[in-house]
Amino acid sequence: MKRLLAGLSVLFVLFLAACSGTDSASGTTEGGKTEIIFWHAMGGELEASVNEIVDEYNSSQDKYTVEPVYQGSYEESLTKLKTVAGTADAPAVTQIFEAGTKQMIDSGNIQPVQKFIDEENYDTSQWEENISSYYQVDGEQYSMPFNSSTPVLVYNKDAFKEAGLDPEKAPRTYTELKEAAEKLTVKEGDKTTQYGLSILNYGWFFEELLATQGGMYVNNENGREGDATKAAFNDEKGQKVFELISEMYEAGTYYNSGQNWDDMRASFQTGTMAMMLDSSAGIKGLVDNADFEVGVAYLPHPDDVDPQGVIIGGASLWMAKDIDENQQQAAWDFMKYLSTAEVQAKWHVESGYFAINPAAYEEDIVKQEWEKYPQLKVTVDQLHDTIPSTATQGALISIFPEARQQIVTGMESLYQGEDPQAALDKAAVEVDTVLEKGSRSR
Amino acid sequence: MNAARDLQPVHSQENRPKRNPFAFLEGWLYLLPSIILFGVFVFYPMFRSIYLSFFLADQMGPFEFVGLENYQYILGSDSFKSSVKATILFVLYTVPAGILLALFLALLTNEKMKGIGIFRTLFSSTMGMSVAASSVIWMFMYNPSIGVFSRVAELLGFPAIQWLQDPDYALLAVSLSTIWMNTGFAYLIILGGLQNIDTHLYENAKVAGVSYFYQLRRITLPMLSPTLFFIVTVSLINAFQTFGQIDILTKGGPVESTNVVVYSIYKDAFINNDVGAASAQAVILFFCVLLLTILQFKLGERKVHYQ
Repeated sequence: MKRLLAGLSVLFVLFLAACSGTDSASGTTEGGKTEIIFWHAMGGELEASVNEIVDEYNSSQDKYTVEPVYQGSYEESLTKLKTVAGTADAPAVTQIFEAGTKQMIDSGNIQPVQKFIDEENYDTSQWEENISSYYQVDGEQYSMPFNSSTPVLVYNKDAFKEAGLDPEKAPRTYTELKEAAEKLTVKEGDKTTQYGLSILNYGWFFEELLATQGGMYVNNENGREGDATKAAFNDEKGQKVFELISEMYEAGTYYNSGQNWDDMRASFQTGTMAMMLDSSAGIKGLVDNADFEVGVAYLPHPDDVDPQGVIIGGASLWMAKDIDENQQQAAWDFMKYLSTAEVQAKWHVESGYFAINPAAYEEDIVKQEWEKYPQLKVTVDQLHDTIPSTATQGALISIFPEARQQIVTGMESLYQGEDPQAALDKAAVEVDTVLEKGSRSR
Repeated sequence: MNAARDLQPVHSQENRPKRNPFAFLEGWLYLLPSIILFGVFVFYPMFRSIYLSFFLADQMGPFEFVGLENYQYILGSDSFKSSVKATILFVLYTVPAGILLALFLALLTNEKMKGIGIFRTLFSSTMGMSVAASSVIWMFMYNPSIGVFSRVAELLGFPAIQWLQDPDYALLAVSLSTIWMNTGFAYLIILGGLQNIDTHLYENAKVAGVSYFYQLRRITLPMLSPTLFFIVTVSLINAFQTFGQIDILTKGGPVESTNVVVYSIYKDAFINNDVGAASAQAVILFFCVLLLTILQFKLGERKVHYQ
C-alpha cells in the first residue's frame, strides 16, 4: 500500500513536471507544409467568417497551413500575447486592436511587415491609405491592417418622421444635434419615453469626436513626433465634447446607456433613444434587427469647425519576430491573401468592417450588399472624406487602455453633475501620471 | 520497510521509541502532493507578488527596483481610496445579509415534512450556477430597457432606475446579485450544521415547553455557532475577493463606484500593464484580510460553543 502511494506521489510529481513542459505547436512541419498559428479576437458570428476565410486560404495553396485560434477580447488576447511574445511559442500572426499599436512596437518582439513589402516591392498603394497610415510609424509599415471600423451617427428614421424632422437629413453640427434631440425627446408626464441621443461611455467615441475637430489627444503631435508626455485632450476642443454631453444630459435629451455595447444597441432597438453613436461594424446587425428604418450619418462636429473626418478603429495583424524564416514567409503569404480584393469583399459583407483594399468595393457581392444596406456605403464614404493628419491618424501611446478608463470615468461623472472642464482636467492629470510612469518602462 | 510497521498509527507518540528517519520522510511524502500544489499555486505567487511590489514591472517581469514607491503611489491615489471604500461597503452589504438569508432559509427547511427535499434543492441550487452565467442573467434583469426590474417599477408607477449605470445604485445592484449567488453555499453549510444538532436537546425543550424563539436562542444558535463562525469567515474572505460579477456587470464603473480592490488589481495588472502597482495592492489586501481574520479568531471565536 505504501509503495503504491509513494509510486502515486512520484507519478504526480512527474505529471506536474510534464505540465510545465511546453508543446511547441507553432512551427511544426507536417508533410512538407509549414504550419502557423493565427491568434484573433473575433468572437461569435465573426469567428465563423474568419474560420471560413482561413479554410479557403489553406485549400487555395499547398505550402502553408494556418490554424486560427480565438483568444477572447482584444484586451485578453493582447495580455496573452505578452506572456508568450519573444518565445518560440509565440503565434506567427496575431490580431491586435488599434490601441495596442504602440505597445506592440515598443515590445520589440514583432517583425515590421515593411521588410517583406520592400523585398517584394509589394504595392501598398492598393490599400486604403487612411487605414494603413494608422499602422505606419516613421514611414515604416509595422503591421497589416485587417479589420477597420469608424464611428457613425445612427438614427431612427421613423422617430424622425414622427418628430417632424427630415429623415434623410441627419444633424451634422452640435446645434443641429441638440435641436433634433430636443424634438425627438418624448415625455409622458415626468417620465421620458424616448430620449434624443446616447453615446456609449467608451473612450473611443471621445477620441473620435476630438479628432473630427482636428484636436490632439496627447502632445508631440499625438505622440507621432516623439513620445507623448502630456495629455492634450483637455483643451477647448475636448471641452466642447464634454460640454455637449453635459448640456444635453442636463436638458434631459441625452440617455446614459452605460459601458456595454449590447445594452446600448438593445436600448436603441427598443426605442429608448432615437440617435446614438455606434461603430460602423455594428450597422448591419442593427439594420437587420430593428423594426424601424435605420439611418446612418457622419459623426457630428461643433458648429465652427470644418470636420476633419475620423480615426479608424479596429485591428491589424502583427508578425512575430523570433520565429523561423519559413514561418514568417507563411505569415506574409497569408497576410497578402487576406488583403486581396476578393477576400476583403467577403469580409466587408460578412462583418461590416471596412475593406482595407478599396478594389473590394468593385466586387459584385459588395455592390449587391450595398443595394440591400445603403447604410454601409455611408460609413465607407465618411472614411474616404477623411483628411489625413496627425489628428485623424490617432494618438500613438502605449497607455491607451488606462487613458480610456479615465475618459470613461470623466464621462460618467458628467451625469453626476460634474463640471465638464473639471472632469476633463481630472482625467488629463491621471493620464499625465500614467504617461510619466509609462515612460519609465523598459 | 516491514509489514508490522505499516500497521502502526503514524502519529502515536508512545509507540515510537526512537525517531525513525524513514517515518519522518514518509510523513513528508504524504504531505508532498499538497505542498507542491500549495507551493505552485499559492505560496510561490504570494512571495512573487511581494517581491514584485517593490519593482516597476510589466507582464514580462520586473525591470526597475523602486522600493516603496508603488505603495506611496497607491496610498496617495484617490482611486485606491475609493476602491477601499467600495470594498468595505460591498462586504457590509453582502456578508450579513447573505448569512441571515441563508440562516432563515435553513431554519425553514430544517423541519421534517413531505416534499421538503424540493425546497432544499431549490434553495441550494444557486451553488450549481457559475458566477459568469448568473451575472449575465442579472445583467439582463437590470437592463433599464428590457429588464424585469424596470418593468416592475413601471407597473408600480415608480421611475425606472438605471441600476448598473447609476453610481448610487450600482454597488447595491452588484451586492444583491452576489447575495443571491452566495446563498446556496451558505445555506447548504448552515443546513448541514442544523442537522448535526442532537435531537435530544429539542425533545427536552419540548418537554420543558419553551417557546420557539427561546429554543432558537438557547439551543439552535449556540449549537450552530461553529458552523456560523466558519461561514462568516469564509464569506468574509470571499467577499473581499469578489471579481467575476463585477467584471461582467459593471467593469468597476460607473465613476469607479464598484471598483473593488480585487478588480483594481486586475485592471492594473492585465489592462494597464502595471504589475508593480497591482502587486502592491494585492499585498495590502492580503494583510488587511489576514488582520481581519486574526481579529475574528481572537474576538469572534470566544463566543463559539464547541461541543
